[in-house]
Amino acid sequence: MAEDHHGSSRHMSASQKDLGDEDARVVRVGDAERTSERLEYAGNAVRTAKYSPLTFLPRNLFEQFHRLAYVYFLVIAVLNQLPQLAVFGRGASVMPLAFVLIVTAVKDAYEDWRRHRSDRAENGRLAAVLSPGEGAGAQFRPTEWKHVRVGDVLRIVSNESLPADMVLLATSEPTGVAYVQTLNLDGESNLKTRYAKQETLSTPPDQLTGAVIRCERPNRNVYGFQANLELEGESRRIPLGPSNIVLRGCELKNTAWAVGVVVYAGRETKAMLNNAGAPKKRSRLETHMNRETLFLSAILVVLCALVAALSGVWLRTHEEELELAQFFHKRDYLSKDKDGNYNYYGIAAQIVFIFLMAVIVFQIMIPISLYISMELVRLGQAYFMIRDTRLYDESSNTRFQCRALNINEDLGQVKCVFSDKTGTLTQNKMEFRCASIDGIDYSDITRQQPVEGDRIWAPNISVNTDSELVKLIRDGGDTYQGRHTREFFLALATCNTIVPMITDGADPKKKVIDYQGESPDEQALVSAAAAYGFVLVERTSGHIVIDVLGEKQRYEVLGLHEFDSDRKRMSVIIGCPDKTVMLFVKGADSSMFGVIDKTINSDLVQATEKHLHSYSSLGLRTLVIGMRELSQAEFQEWQMAYEKASTALLGRGNLLRGVAANIERNLRLLGASGIEDKLQDGVPEAIEKLRQAGIKVWVLTGDKQETAISIGYSCKLLTREMTQIVINSHSRDSCTKSLDDAISMVDKFQSFSTDSQARVPLALIIDGNSLVYIFDTDREEKLFEVAIACDVVLCCRVAPLQKAGIVDLIKKRTSDMTLAIGDGANDVSMIQMADVGIGISGQEGRQAVMASDFAMGQFRFLVPLLLVHGHWNYQRMGYMILYNFYRNATFVFMLFWYVLYTGFTLTTAITEWSSVLYSVIYTAVPTIVVAILDKDLGRRTLLKYPQLYGAGQCEENYNLRLFIFIMMDSVWQSLAIFFIPYLAYRKSVIDGASLGDLWTLSVVILVNIHLAMDVIRWNWITHAAIWGSIVATWICVMIIDSIPIMPGFWAIYKVMGTGLFWALLLAVTVAGMIPHFAAKAFKEYFTPSDIQIAREMEKWQDTHDVTHPEVQMSTVVRV
Amino acid sequence: MNSHAAGTSNGGSGDAGGAGAGAARRNTRMPKYSKFTQQELPACKPILTPKWVVSVFFIVGVIFVPIGVVSLLAARDVVEIIDRYDEACVPGNMTENKLAYIQNSSIPKDCTRTLMVTKDMKQPIFVYYQLDNFYQNHRRYVKSRNDAQLRDPSKANKTSACEPEKTTADGKPIVPCGLIAWSLFNDTYIFARGNENLTVDKKHISWKSDREHKFGKDVYPSNFQNGSLIGGAKLDPNISLSEQEDLIVWMRTAALPTFRKLYGRIYVDLKENDNITVRLSNNYNTYSFGGKKKLVLSTATWLGGKNDFLGYTYLIVGGLCIFLAFAFTLLYFIKPRKLGDHNYLSWNRHPAGR
Repeated sequence: MAEDHHGSSRHMSASQKDLGDEDARVVRVGDAERTSERLEYAGNAVRTAKYSPLTFLPRNLFEQFHRLAYVYFLVIAVLNQLPQLAVFGRGASVMPLAFVLIVTAVKDAYEDWRRHRSDRAENGRLAAVLSPGEGAGAQFRPTEWKHVRVGDVLRIVSNESLPADMVLLATSEPTGVAYVQTLNLDGESNLKTRYAKQETLSTPPDQLTGAVIRCERPNRNVYGFQANLELEGESRRIPLGPSNIVLRGCELKNTAWAVGVVVYAGRETKAMLNNAGAPKKRSRLETHMNRETLFLSAILVVLCALVAALSGVWLRTHEEELELAQFFHKRDYLSKDKDGNYNYYGIAAQIVFIFLMAVIVFQIMIPISLYISMELVRLGQAYFMIRDTRLYDESSNTRFQCRALNINEDLGQVKCVFSDKTGTLTQNKMEFRCASIDGIDYSDITRQQPVEGDRIWAPNISVNTDSELVKLIRDGGDTYQGRHTREFFLALATCNTIVPMITDGADPKKKVIDYQGESPDEQALVSAAAAYGFVLVERTSGHIVIDVLGEKQRYEVLGLHEFDSDRKRMSVIIGCPDKTVMLFVKGADSSMFGVIDKTINSDLVQATEKHLHSYSSLGLRTLVIGMRELSQAEFQEWQMAYEKASTALLGRGNLLRGVAANIERNLRLLGASGIEDKLQDGVPEAIEKLRQAGIKVWVLTGDKQETAISIGYSCKLLTREMTQIVINSHSRDSCTKSLDDAISMVDKFQSFSTDSQARVPLALIIDGNSLVYIFDTDREEKLFEVAIACDVVLCCRVAPLQKAGIVDLIKKRTSDMTLAIGDGANDVSMIQMADVGIGISGQEGRQAVMASDFAMGQFRFLVPLLLVHGHWNYQRMGYMILYNFYRNATFVFMLFWYVLYTGFTLTTAITEWSSVLYSVIYTAVPTIVVAILDKDLGRRTLLKYPQLYGAGQCEENYNLRLFIFIMMDSVWQSLAIFFIPYLAYRKSVIDGASLGDLWTLSVVILVNIHLAMDVIRWNWITHAAIWGSIVATWICVMIIDSIPIMPGFWAIYKVMGTGLFWALLLAVTVAGMIPHFAAKAFKEYFTPSDIQIAREMEKWQDTHDVTHPEVQMSTVVRV
Repeated sequence: MNSHAAGTSNGGSGDAGGAGAGAARRNTRMPKYSKFTQQELPACKPILTPKWVVSVFFIVGVIFVPIGVVSLLAARDVVEIIDRYDEACVPGNMTENKLAYIQNSSIPKDCTRTLMVTKDMKQPIFVYYQLDNFYQNHRRYVKSRNDAQLRDPSKANKTSACEPEKTTADGKPIVPCGLIAWSLFNDTYIFARGNENLTVDKKHISWKSDREHKFGKDVYPSNFQNGSLIGGAKLDPNISLSEQEDLIVWMRTAALPTFRKLYGRIYVDLKENDNITVRLSNNYNTYSFGGKKKLVLSTATWLGGKNDFLGYTYLIVGGLCIFLAFAFTLLYFIKPRKLGDHNYLSWNRHPAGR
């Protein structure tokens, strides 16, 4: 969206809401008491901390228990506290939950303490507040920020931060201008101008008391503000707009002081209202994981039901015998009631109890620790992404940012990338390249050369000038052509909102001008005008000073119609030194040719149109400039309408638009400019890589079709052999027709392409108007058909909301993972709509970054991000989830087999502490370490063969088939672990504790060896984690068995002294691993995946490639 | 640039130049390079090549088969005499009502069994009793004990978890409390070969660790086995728990519902065809739950008792591995594949098929 830097339509809507008096906020200047007497406005103390020491415990627990998994944990722990169901001791049952809760709480408490600290610092800062002293003694006194109230009058000095949103009353500048830097608010480092109203400028602040400001309710729209000011004793209402308000978080710059009245304070300031957290998204893997979790729950219920039913049968068949059986002891002779039973409530009740106890014993079938592991792993992955030097952008000094921590693995499954053009594919550093003035084309590069001669003014952007044009301006002042050319550059110098900042350069004779403005296009144009001798040197709210060919001239700015995305043009009304009034308009060609009087010189219009066409096919951004001299009558008529509209409270925006439309007509065409928007580094290569990786790249841009197509070619999105389908219609019917044509074309090509070799790549180029028609007429389905058949889709002339609509079109109809990347406010809706949103932290402010899940400095980082990190993240996370399912299921199945030999009473031979520690300590660390560190393939291979990315797109690392396989493995291993020792120890003196220890050790060894077998890269950390956790388990078991009051005291030492123990451990491990090993060996050799082959290539063949790295995706060179 | 040039030209201001460079370094947010953060730690990348697969299977097979043979032979060496006596010791007139027989303390429970030694047995000969269908791992049984009470005389009152054998009817704590102790096995055996008495050594039948740390030297049974339902043996209140080895053995609860417990050892070699007379008192009630009682005399090897299973396991696993080694070798010959050949990559196999 080139043309609407000035605020996207999203931002307009809030301000356009009519401001009625009844819901306005009334602020009495200098009188905070009366301002707040009727309605309590928020104070200025901010509070970003979530908790206070008192509320910490309940609130933090409440928030933690929002997770279903923790509730499951809790319910089980509570069930276990019932005496009939007490499977574990109190300590053991509560430990896992307590562990997790405490870890999270400590983390939260630390973060909140830091927030508290920064809040305190922020609230304790001082600001000068006007305190109504006795009589004339009113003076500014330093007050802490938290005591500043709405209605207070504040005095801010240069470089001071603003404590609240304030309407400017006066500044040190006689013109009432104040410069603010909004870096903290939107990240734009250029200075913005704000004005105090003339009416309040000269009045001392203490005499303004009694004035009333009526303004909108607090809202989050940073670019809009509507209010009016009613001075005491005057009935006239002075309109206030966004240029009269300065916002909290900004800094005052280049202005000695400014006085303002607080209108929004504390949490009602726009900065605070915009302080929304990162968006919550859920990764696809996690959604799939929930499906498997449901399967596991079903298995759990079946196991529990089976145990309960069998126990019922067992009790029934032994009903008569249990009375006296020593091990059952049904009667309780101690109870008062002589016939009372001990802990026995009939078979039915017993079945229910057994069922619930089974749920407690088998609880880890649902791997709760997995949720914590996943968070830790994502933290680790984020750490590596942030620390990757190849994702660091030197030019903007930004690292990669992970704003959303829960969709890392989605980066490995992206199928469709939606990219903004300006600032994303291109640098958004505009350079003036050529112009067509008065029908003459000045685009010959050979004539262009740097500015020569000694100039007093040196703009910070240097522009090459066309020598002929320079000559024409200098010498041809009297010719018709020369006059038009001068007018053209005068229009460039005047028709903008640029503020020149003048500083002394190294050379004392030269002044350096820094053109500060919100639009890079304008900066380029003003710099160009300066290069040709029309130097904008000063701007105040009322006039501008232009150095015209060495002579300073003052131009009154009588009115300004700001740019908006509906009109797509802006205009200024200038009072020239010779008292004529000029209207200068510049805007997009589509909107300008509608208001240009083509009757004046139709040849000129045609010539200019031709030039425009050739500029945009070079990939240049074009603007058309027109002007008109206003007669005195016309001017006065306009002035009346303008004043009326700009003081209106009701629908001011619409009224102003009407006024603008009324005056912007019958223009004389001056010419057109061509501005180059340079491609960012490595964009063509990056797009090529993404395409090879099977990712479709869609470009959504606000530029016009020709520009979009030429950029498409220059970034290799479009190639010559592609067949282009263009849908570019001006009416509903023609749109329908071209869509039908497109479908038949796609069908034709697809029928050709049964042989995949001869497939013709297709590109769809569609414009915003056609999209509107298509979305209106419910023909989305057809558009979708065409779009997915095409390799490339280019959407031009699209509005921000249409961008989101296009993303939604794909998201709704396919399961393809979508990724949106953009840098401007106009990309926010698209970034939020897509599965993965990426913000470019570049020129256009920080709104895209604020809305994004990940942020980075350059488009080309997308390649290492997706192909390398995304691939790794997905592969690691997918394996970890499967492994966790397997690991816990193996343990549960092993417990289950034993239960069948205990009269179905849920005894576990394994000590309760080992059961609890199994998933927390015994086996947790290796899986986390492997999931953070293991790599299936190296970075170089992944970049060399982008096709390997397909593994994530086809869900190769996590699917139902793998889940079933790993569950079968889990059942087999549990059988081996249980039955080999069982059969070996049958009819022997083995005691429960010794056998339990053997089982604990075998299951831990087996699952760790299983993991070890699947590890692809062994480094010392992996070794330490896997073997270390086996050793740790052994130590834990020994510690537990060294406590004399545990029933299993000394069992491990005793059993380790027998040969049978070691023989069994070996037999279990080998027998358990054979199927996995054989299956793995078979699969890797006879049905290898691409990944497997690439691994082999990496090991044996690529070693000689190392010296010639094929892809250098990053310009950063390692030091 | 300028300041840098100045810094280098002026030799004296080396410190200042260093500080400037430091500031520059601080300003850049470029992540520091390390092998760890760039995920480039040196690593070993094992791949299952045919050589590896076949050798692993083969080596495992070669190791396992001999172990299997050795343990089978060891298990075959063990001589075991098992005699089930619970049925036979019931007097003929009471076979219909065994429960009445066992519960009636006035009926003498003495019983004599004769065992024939099938093979020479080297001393020590282990004497076990084996109970079938006795769920010593039943949840309500296995939990019913209090280990604190067993080792510390001052904690006699700690009877939690001992239900339903926690206290006597009048509320005095039972030591040792709980179902396990209450149900202590109480059959006794006296062995003779011909006229020669075979002494059963009942010393050190329990774990040393249990005697020394788990059961207190100064903890004496009290209020034990005087409820209305007698579960098993009574304990001499004058002998400390650490010396009540039968109790210690019994309280090491068995893992499985059919289990043996050590009764004692006989340090005499027995010859083939020796007749052993066992005079036993058949006190313990297994009739109420359909359990079986067996007397077992057995020698032992390094592998424990007479159990072929381990040997068979090793033979089967080892055999399977050798079979797999051959199977994989065959497969690798039938369908060879060059490792790491990029022609096998899917997009090279079907060009433009993506």
